[in-house]
Amino acid sequence: MGLFKTIKKQNYTIIIGCSRMGANLADTLSSAGRSVLIIDRTEEAFKKLSPFFGGISLVGDGTEILVLNEADIKHATEVVAVTNSDNTNILLALLAKEHFGVGHVIARLSDPERECVYQEFGIETICPAELSAKEINRLLSVEEVVEEDE
Amino acid sequence: MKTKILLIGGFNKAKSLAKSLIKKGYKVTAINKDMECCQLLAQIEHLTVFVGDGTKPFVLEDANAHNADIAIALTDSDADNLVICKLCKNKYNVKKTVALISDPKKTDFFYHMGIDSVVCAISVISNVIEQQAFLDEMATLVPIGEGRISIAQIPISQAAPVVDKKLWEIKLPKEVIIGCIMRGEKNIVPRGDTRILAGDVLVLISSNEHEVAAIQELTGR
Repeated sequence: MGLFKTIKKQNYTIIIGCSRMGANLADTLSSAGRSVLIIDRTEEAFKKLSPFFGGISLVGDGTEILVLNEADIKHATEVVAVTNSDNTNILLALLAKEHFGVGHVIARLSDPERECVYQEFGIETICPAELSAKEINRLLSVEEVVEEDE
Repeated sequence: MKTKILLIGGFNKAKSLAKSLIKKGYKVTAINKDMECCQLLAQIEHLTVFVGDGTKPFVLEDANAHNADIAIALTDSDADNLVICKLCKNKYNVKKTVALISDPKKTDFFYHMGIDSVVCAISVISNVIEQQAFLDEMATLVPIGEGRISIAQIPISQAAPVVDKKLWEIKLPKEVIIGCIMRGEKNIVPRGDTRILAGDVLVLISSNEHEVAAIQELTGR
């Protein structure tokens, strides 16, 4: 636990789920000079991190209170839940927000219909499907405009 | 009007629960992800079965969740059960939600999340097994408050170390109380100077941790 004492005072981000998205985010935040801790159930998943990742990786089931305590979640400024299961992300986000009192919690949600569960708890969600659709839509409409110009 | 109960997930648990609830006159609907499970569940008379993932709002809608009085989440995943109960509660205004969980440490958190009843199968089962393994002398045992407190009925044999002792002479743990002594036709509410006789049946109210110790003290086993 002594390891974590040094980073308590700074901005400290916990990412749960070393998916491609989680790993990417961890790399970006870490290279921007933030303290990052990433949790995943399998050691294997951490191979996705870049070799220059300067944060801490922790093997364990992020839904277990013991593991979250080990990650010193109480002192985290942000928690990002990006496991591949929506329901696990909901559970994690609620745990972080309500049980550990983390101020800023973001969760990934692939099915936007479940959003009503988050709403009353003030948990931010990002929905990759919606974002991609928007982006594709934008690209398409740009192309249309170009065609019209010609 | 019949009370409507929604069972989500779980095959064997859903099956036996559905059978017993239907027998008691409730209207039961089961939701299961697996087609095969659903076909087997559908063999139960008067049970309505839906195939689908119960954590998805449209599946709950198809199963008429807004009309249900009680929703019981029985899947293997704690996260799924939490989401099912939260959806039932917040989106469909189900009056009572019950969740099964596997991690006993999350019980308080689930209650905090507004779920009306949280059942931790593992702690209940392990308590029962522990009691069965050590105390085969016991006639009945009623766990209450999720198994944290139990009421046990303990027959006192001739060989028991407490025979002919007064209650205050027995060293019982603090969180244990002898609520009643059944002696023949009589029921005695005991006081400190009540003597225990062979053939008495004691009604013991105790917390889980102290139960085994208390019963060992009383019966000598």
